[in-house]
Amino acid sequence: MIRDPYNIIITGVGGQGNVMAARIIGNMLALRGFYVTIGETFGASQRGGSVMSHLRVSEKSAWSPQIPKGRADLVVALEPIESLRVMAQYGNTETAVVSNTRPVYPVGVICGDQKYPSMDELNGSLKQLCSNINFIDATEEAIRLGNPILSNVIMIGAVAGLGVLPVDDSDFEKVMSSNVPAGKLGINMEGYKLGKKLAGG
Amino acid sequence: MQVFGPKELQSDVLQKNLCAGCGACVSLCPYFKTHKGRTAAMFQCTRESGRCNAYCPKTGVDLDRLSATVFNGTYAGDAIGNFKAVYVSQKGSSAGNGNVQNGGTVSALMQFALKSGAVDSAVLTGRKGAVSVPEIVTDPGKVFSYASSKYSTSPVVAGFNKAAAEGYAKIGFVGTPCAVTAMAKIRSNPTELADFSDKTGIVVGLFCTWALDTWGVEKTLKDKLDLASLQRVDIPPPPADVMTFTNIHKDVMLPLDEIRASIPLACAYCHDMTAEFADISVGALEIDGGKNRNVIIIRTDRGEKLYKDAVAAGYITGEPLPAGVMDGLSKASMNKKIRAFTRLSDEKMLNGDAERPAVIINAPALGKIMNSKGGM
Amino acid sequence: MSILDYKEGTVNLLMGNEAISRGALEAGVRVVAGYPGTPSSEIIENLAKVADKSGIYVEWSVNEKVSLEVAAAGSFAGLRSMCVMKQNGVNVASDFLLHLALSGTRGGMVLVPCDDPGAISSVNEGESRHFARMLELPLIEPGDFQEARDMIKWAFELSEKIHNVVVMRSVTRLSHASGNVKVGALPVNENKAYFSFGSHLLDPLNGPVITAPVPMRHRQQQDKLKVIAEIFETSEFNKYTGPEKPELLIITSSACNLYSMEAVNILGLDKRVGILKLGTTYPLPEKLVKKHVDAAGAVLFVEEVLPFIEDLTRIAAAAWGDVAHKQYHGKYDGSIPTVNELNPDIIINALAKITGIEYRAVSEEYEKKGTILSFTGAPNRELTFCPGCPHRASYWSIHNALSLNGKGGFVCGDIGCYTMGILGAGFGAIKTAHAMGSGTGVASGFGKLGQFGMEQKAVAVCGDSTFFHAVMPALVNAVHVQSDMMLVVFDNRGTAMTGFQPHPGTENDAMGNVVNAIDIESICRAIGADVHVADPFDLAATTEKVLDLVENKSGARVLIMKQSCALSPEKKGKKKYEMSVDESKCRGENCGCNRFCTKVFRCPGLVWNRDKGVSMIDSVICAGCGVCHGICPAGAITREEARV
Repeated sequence: MIRDPYNIIITGVGGQGNVMAARIIGNMLALRGFYVTIGETFGASQRGGSVMSHLRVSEKSAWSPQIPKGRADLVVALEPIESLRVMAQYGNTETAVVSNTRPVYPVGVICGDQKYPSMDELNGSLKQLCSNINFIDATEEAIRLGNPILSNVIMIGAVAGLGVLPVDDSDFEKVMSSNVPAGKLGINMEGYKLGKKLAGG
Repeated sequence: MQVFGPKELQSDVLQKNLCAGCGACVSLCPYFKTHKGRTAAMFQCTRESGRCNAYCPKTGVDLDRLSATVFNGTYAGDAIGNFKAVYVSQKGSSAGNGNVQNGGTVSALMQFALKSGAVDSAVLTGRKGAVSVPEIVTDPGKVFSYASSKYSTSPVVAGFNKAAAEGYAKIGFVGTPCAVTAMAKIRSNPTELADFSDKTGIVVGLFCTWALDTWGVEKTLKDKLDLASLQRVDIPPPPADVMTFTNIHKDVMLPLDEIRASIPLACAYCHDMTAEFADISVGALEIDGGKNRNVIIIRTDRGEKLYKDAVAAGYITGEPLPAGVMDGLSKASMNKKIRAFTRLSDEKMLNGDAERPAVIINAPALGKIMNSKGGM
Repeated sequence: MSILDYKEGTVNLLMGNEAISRGALEAGVRVVAGYPGTPSSEIIENLAKVADKSGIYVEWSVNEKVSLEVAAAGSFAGLRSMCVMKQNGVNVASDFLLHLALSGTRGGMVLVPCDDPGAISSVNEGESRHFARMLELPLIEPGDFQEARDMIKWAFELSEKIHNVVVMRSVTRLSHASGNVKVGALPVNENKAYFSFGSHLLDPLNGPVITAPVPMRHRQQQDKLKVIAEIFETSEFNKYTGPEKPELLIITSSACNLYSMEAVNILGLDKRVGILKLGTTYPLPEKLVKKHVDAAGAVLFVEEVLPFIEDLTRIAAAAWGDVAHKQYHGKYDGSIPTVNELNPDIIINALAKITGIEYRAVSEEYEKKGTILSFTGAPNRELTFCPGCPHRASYWSIHNALSLNGKGGFVCGDIGCYTMGILGAGFGAIKTAHAMGSGTGVASGFGKLGQFGMEQKAVAVCGDSTFFHAVMPALVNAVHVQSDMMLVVFDNRGTAMTGFQPHPGTENDAMGNVVNAIDIESICRAIGADVHVADPFDLAATTEKVLDLVENKSGARVLIMKQSCALSPEKKGKKKYEMSVDESKCRGENCGCNRFCTKVFRCPGLVWNRDKGVSMIDSVICAGCGVCHGICPAGAITREEARV
């Protein structure tokens, strides 16, 4: 990895499976013998609020469950605008961003009081902060695979596809086999590999 | 004239306790509702202009505009307003019977209006205990069950709004001066609705010096009378100086001074005793032996037609006014005007004194009132 | 996966709460009790899941005090027991804890409070640490995830050494964070529960468990603490890293240890700054602390939230002669804030200031751009009730009834999802919110202020779990004193906020056994309240009922709103109605509506279609509760029974 600790933020909206996604990536790295620390924010935020998992990966030791400002190396956004929110607080010009393209609208947007940016507008904003930006149509692809729930697996695949983490397909398979019923492993592997391909891996 | 919205309605009227509870802002939207004679703001609506404010008789009342709407003229500041004729009247032999307050003129008129097709519905005030409740009546046979004065604020304009929304197009309306002012505002189409039409068939106004707040009445009578079966409220002629409340079992008499505490603040700002923007106004004939007769003021052409037809059909009677009645009526009416305009002026609620005036009155009319010294 | 599945000797990525559960199981805990509360709930949940297989007893008790009493019984009978709660739960349990600390325990007994600095999932940032000092109990604090597992095992041993409760404090950032944890073997327990009381009154180990004679027991308790203090001096959980004679010594504990390490690392201060991480914080290992302070140029205390280690050190230092005259940085000189949780940045900035280093996380330009872009481009997410949540409907009726009443009535709130009644989600109905059960107690008080001219009506609300926890005594009080108040119970069939834990009103216990469900309605009637029941989804009838109860009734009355949580297993994913909007009827932004459903009612399932200027139903989000049908002034929201 390019830095130790390597700092990943997985962000999204309560109920999107943020904690699970962080745990899968964390477990893949723990299997490789890394020290992994995951800090999670949940509780009231489950009720429609923004949620974040901070993942610290190190060869040396456990790290703080909160990543310091400006120190994120990789931002994984299960919901598009959350990438911008996190980049403003934790990003820097070198941070890589992988973002799903399917919005989960805030109540203010649903009610018509606020406006949700288009993906072009969001991309424009992100480009002012960093250059390595990857949009993945994870939810659309997951629906094509038969279940929108697979979008997180596609996003994990996309993270692997970026090639910044020392993990391979077998790590994912090992972790998933203890997390999903045997019958579901195949479709999850398919989603993971698709995500990897979409990210150019 | 600029029409303001719910925010200003709340700050100018509701929060200042100047609401008369007429219900003009109710039954138009989900933001204002009426409960036990009082208007409640349920939620903050964000519109900058709306019918709620435009219809309210306690803000932005442009007397010239209302005069133009109802009489096609300007406001003159006369004691009992614009009128064609004044008579003494009572219900006639063709009319039904009921718990009438005085001569039964209003009930008889509305019964006739429904029967004759002059109106397709009548918005009348019923009673649920001490609470006045407006209802839409289409059966002439039921009109007399709404007879008798309620003496408590009634959201009767809300009943009109409801009837209009339900599709009635010639609505008969009976209300106190504040409600009749609201009706005139509604009829002037202040929000310039494209598909506007005047949905009134006849507007009958009731003389009023003040009304009572239901909550105050309930509180005062709580331990004295079961209000659930309240049937009648009356003020016997002077020098009694009391108010009587009657339920199915008994009467309770309260000194007027005690009951005055329940008069809404809004009444202190009211300059209209005879419901000047009605087609016909009716009140008690306050002379000896006048208990069973009414004074009826005919103000408009359609009011005159209904009156004449009703007399011809034997629903009401019409006699000349006894000597002295007009003087007394005018004096009382002018006194109410002077009190109200003095107060409105002192509190900078008149014309250009206020950012959003409560009342707009032309200078000659105001001069006439203030110089009248209570006489005519 | 359960905590039983980790093989002895393997390293696993465990959440702090999982590490505590696993450690307790490895220590041979037999009786576990607690009351749900973030961030503590998973400890009991993990153990409840394996209770059957491990032969342990796990209980969600009615409240924290009872849970401590239940756990104490296990200890009195010679078993290892553990009690778990969130920080403010300790306040609830503290009366019993005061007495328990005096009477002492038998089997190893550990109290695990999980504090929530910054109130991430709380309405307070109270601290359990101060209870340890006030009640004279040993306090230990894990500094990482491995220690969470290791220290809980040690805590049981300590407890049995002194026959008293040991407090092991966690915080949100440990409980709800994960790290690598090496696990050990799971024991086989066979000792039988037996309460030995046959000896004389003064025998602390085989006599009755009592606090009298108090001065004698108190002395014994303090003697035990002296034993512990000696053990703490040499504990392996107190670690120093850094140069032999640091310019600055950081003294820290818990998650702050990780923040401190991060800060020193980022500023490259490892040759200048040392960190003394304390795992044992009360009693303070004075000799150890003195040794390190002596070697250092100055000291910085890093802890959450109020000064604790700092106070203990400063008091001890008064007797240290020269050593006392060091520069102490911490809470008192403003280096470290006394409110909110800490994070690495706060420590970085404190260290940078003390050591004279310039630090910027990112360029000023980046920071400015980021702030503006996220403010304008990422609309904020307001918290709201879920689609189909009964609370939205309940608050609608309460709000409307109080508005119609027009006398400035208000809601006294309580603790649960429905605390969001403070926000737009509950139409801002809640005007007071404090501790569990306090809404009802406060309303009971408001209801007696009529004699001072108060006409405003006080309506208390509480959830079903909260009702059992602390509302019952408050309601008894209100009925007894004939307070003019009303209690609305939001009975949504479970402890919804923290993840559907059972409570005395549910048919199952923590371990999944069928148990006696206690009926709230019957309790309220037995107390003597005027009790009514409503279905909050029937807005018109419920509003009328609330209004009638508020206006026309006196004394304490109770309205039970019966409707399950939208996330409850019986409801989740099942729609009662298919909803739709008749676009020809929708008035949109015009006078007469002004987007009433989307602007005011604000259910996430109702979407404003900007292009068409009408509302619409998002059928993916809509839970099909059918409630919005009743709010449209134009009757444009229609509902149809969903086909099953």
